Amino acid sequence: MQDMDISSPAAFVNGGLLRMHVGRKVRTVLQVTRSDIGSVMGRSTDGCQLVAKGSPPVPLTSYVEVIGVAENENTIRAELWTNFGDTFDASNYDKLCQLANGELKHLFL
Amino acid sequence: MEVNLTAGAVSRIISREVSTERDLKPLLQVIELKEVQTTSKNPQQQQEPRKSERYRLLLSDGSLTQQGMLATSKNELVKSSKLQVGSVVQLTQYLCNVIQDRMIVIIIELEVIVNKYDIIGKPVAAPRSSRLTQVPTDQPGAVMPQANSLGGSSVGGIMSDKLNTAGATLQQPTMNHWQGSSRLNESEQIRNPSANAPNFYPKTDPSAGFPGSSPTNRPFGVQSTGFNNTRPAASRPQSTSNFQSIPSYQQPSPMYSNRGAVSKNEAPPRIIPISALNPYQGRWTIKARVTAKGELRRYNNARGEGKVFSFDLLDSDGGEIRVTCFNAVVDQFYNQIEAGKIYLISRGSLKPAQKAFNHLNNEHEIFLDSTSTVQPCYEDDNRIPRQQFNFRTITDIEGMENNTMVDIIGVVSFISPAASIMRKNGMETQKRTLHLRDMSGRSVELTLWGSFCNAEGQKLQSLCDSGEFPVLAVKAGRVSEFNGKVVGSISTTQLFIDPDFPEAHRLKEWFVSTGRNTPAVSISRETSTVSRADDRKTLSQIKDEKLGTSEKPDWITVVARIAYIKLDNFCYTACPIMNGDRQCNKKVTNNGDGKWWCDKCDKAVDECDYRYIIQFQIHDHTGIIWVTAFQESGQDLMGVSAKDLYNLRYENQDDEKFMEITRQVMFNKYMFKLKVKEEIFSDEQRVKSTVVKVEKVNFSSDSRHLLDLIEKIKTNDLGPSASKAEFTTPNPGPDYAGVGIHGSRGIAPTASREYGLPVNQGGQYGNHYSGSRLRESAPSIDIFCNSCGVTGHSSTNCPTIMNGPLQSVGRDYSDRMYSGASVGRGSGTDFSSGGYGGIPSQQGIGLGCHELLV
Repeated sequence: MQDMDISSPAAFVNGGLLRMHVGRKVRTVLQVTRSDIGSVMGRSTDGCQLVAKGSPPVPLTSYVEVIGVAENENTIRAELWTNFGDTFDASNYDKLCQLANGELKHLFL
Repeated sequence: MEVNLTAGAVSRIISREVSTERDLKPLLQVIELKEVQTTSKNPQQQQEPRKSERYRLLLSDGSLTQQGMLATSKNELVKSSKLQVGSVVQLTQYLCNVIQDRMIVIIIELEVIVNKYDIIGKPVAAPRSSRLTQVPTDQPGAVMPQANSLGGSSVGGIMSDKLNTAGATLQQPTMNHWQGSSRLNESEQIRNPSANAPNFYPKTDPSAGFPGSSPTNRPFGVQSTGFNNTRPAASRPQSTSNFQSIPSYQQPSPMYSNRGAVSKNEAPPRIIPISALNPYQGRWTIKARVTAKGELRRYNNARGEGKVFSFDLLDSDGGEIRVTCFNAVVDQFYNQIEAGKIYLISRGSLKPAQKAFNHLNNEHEIFLDSTSTVQPCYEDDNRIPRQQFNFRTITDIEGMENNTMVDIIGVVSFISPAASIMRKNGMETQKRTLHLRDMSGRSVELTLWGSFCNAEGQKLQSLCDSGEFPVLAVKAGRVSEFNGKVVGSISTTQLFIDPDFPEAHRLKEWFVSTGRNTPAVSISRETSTVSRADDRKTLSQIKDEKLGTSEKPDWITVVARIAYIKLDNFCYTACPIMNGDRQCNKKVTNNGDGKWWCDKCDKAVDECDYRYIIQFQIHDHTGIIWVTAFQESGQDLMGVSAKDLYNLRYENQDDEKFMEITRQVMFNKYMFKLKVKEEIFSDEQRVKSTVVKVEKVNFSSDSRHLLDLIEKIKTNDLGPSASKAEFTTPNPGPDYAGVGIHGSRGIAPTASREYGLPVNQGGQYGNHYSGSRLRESAPSIDIFCNSCGVTGHSSTNCPTIMNGPLQSVGRDYSDRMYSGASVGRGSGTDFSSGGYGGIPSQQGIGLGCHELLV
């Protein structure tokens, strides 16, 4: 495993929740829509278009998890990339994000 | 006993002074009673011509007799001899129509006062034409001749002399003058013709009763009267909105078709109530709202192809009737008719209703043809209700026969997800069950089929999931029997969710105040409507809920990991001999000479079969149990046949491969369907679980299941807090409702809700986390804890006063919750007081969160 900086826990976010954690460590799963050198554009589990900057793994599967620092409300500077495969249940993940940022926030951070 | 018939009733009827029960409810005697056969043929329907019996009677008021026809609904009275010759009856609902120059009384309702009595008086038939004589004097002689002194009247001008047909025309005197007196005062009449709707009648006898009417010669086609140019023979409903003694739907009849200048009155047609429709009335118009519009159906039969569609009507008197159109008529009207709108319909034909398909409360059905008219009414008439219900209570359903149609309204206390069912004809269809409760304290199971599952069913499900208890009104559900009475939907059923009816509001109020907490007795026996596979349990529940101890085994589903497999004897030698189409499978013993002996079959076999009998331990976050898997499930689990595995281990001594196979299986998470049953094992009662089905966990659906559980916890949380008002201290009470939970109403936890997770389950989760202190097998919402002010547990169980190592955690946690201080309160996302330590009746989540706290 790559060197993972676990000094601060990453908050589970989707597109809408990313703005709440700008400047902080976040993690999310994106469905890759476009992959360039240096960045990947993907759809978040709640349908927003987000950008993950960094170097994605090669080959890249349809779903990828990125952990990194949120630069602004739709960009993440990714430090860690994990291929999640081609099938993924986005709605479950989305609900997880909502719970993790809602009343159960204290269970996660 | 003395019986007094209503004197003069017949002459008043004939003179048209009296035409319905609103004028008079006469006591008459039956002089004659005869059965007539009428055949109704409906070529459009390609049915057998139906014969219906009708009874014709001759009624007397002591002096005169009058012909009458009895409504078929009353036939029973004749058949049971309650109504016979000599009976004295009171007409409580009737119409008087003129048919073929004769007055006929159509009796819809009557009361038999005396079954049999001697004939009173010497009644004679009323004379036909020269009624005039009967008419109170001061009328200018014969009706006929005079043409009109009514010049001044505002007559729509017409046939003054036209009326001079053999029978005089009748003029309907104006109401003002008909204060129940049988005297027609012609002059008065004449004075105010315009004010009323004078009508005239198809000549002849009955009309003779109308004196004075030289003016009668005049068919007063006054604006307010409409009359049509149709066959005189038929009686016409007449208009008169301001007529008291004359029903508003009797129209004058023209009959002067060949009489020259007839002015057709374009006045609005007379509207009659649906309940008054009968086949003997020629021209009618009804004004009603479409309560249901059927689908267009195509069919094929001996006569070829065809299409049909029907719609149901409701009018302001509450009368309902179905209207059907075939083939070309369908094209004419299908697009015009819209449910909920009001139409004026006339010129249809009336036939007896097909009770098998038509569940409306009417003996007849209307069939439209190409000459029928359907006119939309643009101004909505609020007198016509949108839908008419005849709600029954759920207790009533218990006593109903199967296949009766019923309207019910109740609160939805439970709804299951849609399931696919294979029907007898091989087609798959969707089915959902839900439970309705009403104020009778009973609940009934309602099954929704087909499209109802997705449309209304889904809506109800989301309402229920979000904590609401919606009110559901059902029109035309069918009662049937299936382990008690149940109600099912049919194609013509209509569902209304949270309707705006007074009954719905009352139900809602009842539910919120008392109903929710009172247990309901189900008239549909509760065989688990949720299919067994959905019955998710945790391992500790098996013991806590004493599963398997009743006479029947319990079937449950658990998600667990395999902890240990007993590999010593994972299979046995089985008898392969077929007994019919089943293998014997009894254990065979080695004969010693290489053959295997089966006790049951009493035979020896060369080769035995190997069948799985694997005992292994499974565990989940609540506990660990031993289960046994037999051949089929064993094979599913291990992935290889018992024989192969046996050979691998014993014959080939390939231990490595063997271990590899077993290692793959161990510690994996599976979904097990278990059959749990208590068995008596040499004086000891043990609950044994057998694996009936094993499959790998589908994480996606399992996650969804867990998410659902979380939702339910959240809504359950609000229950105790929101519903009890007497909270002290740290009761964030009403705040909860707004905080964090997406607007769902608090509901009483579990007690009245059947989510497939019994009340106890929460206890189990709670137990695991907080240790034995919170062990509560029957958490009650009525227990109010004095220490922390939260319901659901008592002070002895209160998490705030727990002892031991867990206390600090519990306390911290509780403090956080109750003081409401830091825990994200500011951000409006407080974890409600029904937290982990708080209310043991809540259901925890197997997420290992406990570890996080510690």
